[in-house]
Amino acid sequence: MHRRTRLSLRSSSINDKENDNEQVQLPTTPRKRRSKVPTAAQAEELNEECFVDSPKKSARTHQRLPDVEELENGSQKDAGTDVVGKLPEREKEYDELVNYVENVLGADGSGSLYISGPPGTGKTATLQRILNHQSFFKKLKPVYINCTSIKSVGSIYKKISEELDLKVNGSTEKAYQTAIEAYLERKHKTIMLVLDEIDQLSSSKQTILYSIFEWPARPTARLILIGIANALDLTDRLLARLQARCELKPHLIQFLPYTKQQIVAILKSSLEETNSLARFPEAALGLLAAKVASTSGDIRRALFITRRLVESAKKEDRKGNLNTPTVVSMGQVMTVLKQVYGASQTLANDLEEGFPLQQKLLICSLMLLLKHGKNKDITVGKLHDVYKTICTKRNIQAVDQTEFIGLCSLVETRGIVRLQGKKEPRMHRVCLQWDEQEVSSALNDKQLITSIISDVSCLGK
Amino acid sequence: ALQPVGTPKRNIQLSNIVEECSNGRRVSRLLELSPKKPQPTVPMEEPKTPKRSTRTSLGTAGSSATKSTPKSASKMKLIRDGTIKPTIHARSAPLGDEANELAIARERLHVSATPSSLPCREKEYEEIYNFLEGKIYDRVGGCMYISGVPGTGKTATTTAVIRALRHLAEEEHIPKFEFIDINGMRLTEPRQAYVHIHRQLTGKTLAWEQAYNLLNKRFTTKAPRRTTTVLLVDELDILCNKRQDVVYNLLNWPTLATAQLIVVTIANTMDLPERLLMGKISSRLGLTRLTFQPYNFRQLQEIVMARLVGMSSFNSDAVQLVARKVAAVSGDARRALDICRRATELADDQARKTDQPVTVSMTHVQQALTEMITSAKVRTIRSSSRMEQLFLQAVTAEVTRTGIEECNFLGVYSQLEALAAFSGVSVPNPGRAMGICARLTASRILICEGGRNDIYQKILLNISTDDVHFALQASKLL
Repeated sequence: MHRRTRLSLRSSSINDKENDNEQVQLPTTPRKRRSKVPTAAQAEELNEECFVDSPKKSARTHQRLPDVEELENGSQKDAGTDVVGKLPEREKEYDELVNYVENVLGADGSGSLYISGPPGTGKTATLQRILNHQSFFKKLKPVYINCTSIKSVGSIYKKISEELDLKVNGSTEKAYQTAIEAYLERKHKTIMLVLDEIDQLSSSKQTILYSIFEWPARPTARLILIGIANALDLTDRLLARLQARCELKPHLIQFLPYTKQQIVAILKSSLEETNSLARFPEAALGLLAAKVASTSGDIRRALFITRRLVESAKKEDRKGNLNTPTVVSMGQVMTVLKQVYGASQTLANDLEEGFPLQQKLLICSLMLLLKHGKNKDITVGKLHDVYKTICTKRNIQAVDQTEFIGLCSLVETRGIVRLQGKKEPRMHRVCLQWDEQEVSSALNDKQLITSIISDVSCLGK
Repeated sequence: ALQPVGTPKRNIQLSNIVEECSNGRRVSRLLELSPKKPQPTVPMEEPKTPKRSTRTSLGTAGSSATKSTPKSASKMKLIRDGTIKPTIHARSAPLGDEANELAIARERLHVSATPSSLPCREKEYEEIYNFLEGKIYDRVGGCMYISGVPGTGKTATTTAVIRALRHLAEEEHIPKFEFIDINGMRLTEPRQAYVHIHRQLTGKTLAWEQAYNLLNKRFTTKAPRRTTTVLLVDELDILCNKRQDVVYNLLNWPTLATAQLIVVTIANTMDLPERLLMGKISSRLGLTRLTFQPYNFRQLQEIVMARLVGMSSFNSDAVQLVARKVAAVSGDARRALDICRRATELADDQARKTDQPVTVSMTHVQQALTEMITSAKVRTIRSSSRMEQLFLQAVTAEVTRTGIEECNFLGVYSQLEALAAFSGVSVPNPGRAMGICARLTASRILICEGGRNDIYQKILLNISTDDVHFALQASKLL
């Protein structure tokens, strides 16, 4: 007999009841429902509450700048929490998913699905929409589990049986598994089991993943299994044996990174909701979207940058005390993008500000060794020898070896070099992580650098 | 029989579940402790447990069961519930404070004495302040990543910002918020983070799973009167295990609209999100990054002078020397303060000897610097025995001969024979030479591989050959 918190018990039982009554939920009793909130039905409830709350929220917002607040709401919606309306630019995938689920429901069978895509492409958000789809709500029993929340790989069974509100004899992994399998054999409503971040379930033999993915193939299962993860080929890599039987093969759906046009459309729609589209000229949005799309296509990033721009505009509004809202200029977009993406450029600035002399010398000696040394396999000991000769030539007091090892790790925290450890610190390998050109341009103390880097005699050959 | 146990539990309030599960029935049964037993509404349970009833009758009576409870067990329960707080013994009488100016300076220079305002970190302060204030004001969640080498004032600045914001919240200029901080180094295991967060929210200690469930419930359900929570995560890199589930959860909660959680993470490495974290986690971490640069010598000077304000016991040139020395190496403020403190101690010693007031001057600072930044190795070589010196010389000769850093004992021994013949001493036999080698290895001047490789063992110099030459210059061997 396992222990459960009151929350999970109550929530799932209520969930059950609602399903049994097959009632479409009416927004009449938001107060009562607020306290229990099952994870699956939660987003749906948020829907209602958004409408209920709206007067209050507006009352709260009017003291500060309204656009910022609402952009945040918009952005958070897109980041996958409460899905009010449509997800722009994910209609195709949504329709495909709905079709798939409808087909499965129509055939009264079961199926498995694997959804992949890079982070921030709206996988979870789309799934939340499906889970709250009104017509499915009567026919399906949704179970949403985020696999990062479980204790170990094996305890997923326990979590599922908790979510299904099963009675289990015993508290072993096996007991939970048999309970779920027995449930699948009994008469029940079709279950939609969504496992988010399913790559967390991988183990050495993949027994658990296999046994879960085999459930849909049971004759009376009536289970729609949906796995979400980042890797494209997870099912091929981890679950190669599923390919052997066609009915076990999961249907694959891919979420591609957002393109520039899509990002522009999403940003526009979330800005339009808040009537602050006027703040953003078309070109600025285009620039932002193009930059994000070219690197990652991650909508979280795009929304984040937009939010940051709005924040800075808000700050200016405060400063200027103007009635007309400030328009975000191209220059501002450029500076934020530079801060976010131009890592080496900002690092060059950082180096100018405060980069200790000894660390500069360390990098110079590393550069010297890389450029003119024969062996590219550089250890800390060797680097220290070269560094010492350079220091004595320049009449600078050199630090001793223990200190030097500390220096190396300080430079490592900046990400310029990496130490690859054997046992002895003297034998650690030093690898330059940056491009050589970049480093020499970043070290702005040109005269010292050039004189050191050209000084081959320090190599001691 | 299982059914009745399950039913009453549903009626238990959530706050009771805490005790019920953490040190619930199983623990108490083991310890034969039943004072808490009748409380949670179990009328049907009593006939079911004949074992316990016989036991209590075997022991004296129901009332003495309380007495027989091991003291530590009931105490542990109180500790876990947070009803008793840990204290430590106090001194029987407070120390008399010396009115000595040097002693005051020493106290002020201590690293733990964080000043009320942090000099030279105004820009970073402003940035963190703006971020936190905006988020608290708008009642939304968010993440921030702060990085920088040790001793650059990351944690001090962040806590100063939070102190200021708390002050504002008390005066009701901004909404109230809760503040929680965890430190990766203080956790035995990454998942203990949940326990610590939950304890700071409610005061109760639970197992991590329950703590996680309660936290997850707190952050995923909508509560209209929820206050914003600011979570400071220090030493983020320690929280990263292989699955990275703890970091994922800590950074996933802020993206939920219901959570109103602001997470400020601190670590040393600049590129930690790209280097260590998975893509999905760094995507959630967002792009608000702030890097603390190491202090330059002017800033270090200002920091030390700010602590010594209104005191004449410190020579300003001495402070400058410390600042320049430290800024050239690491820019670590803790180190500068430590060196100054040490210099004060040296001056104090001198004052005690001579019975005259002494100001901390260049000589004291110089002495403290040599104490802190010197290699003991050269001195060790100089004071080692003649045969050891000869052996070291043989190693350097072998290294220069082969050009490879690693040499084996056989080669070194043949060099040793030649050197000994040259300087007219008798050669120790290989066994004794190995003893010499072991002694030098123990003082970490050489690095030898372990095991019984005898004459084939590999020998590596742990200092540069120049150092050996420099150390042996004075001796007649060279």
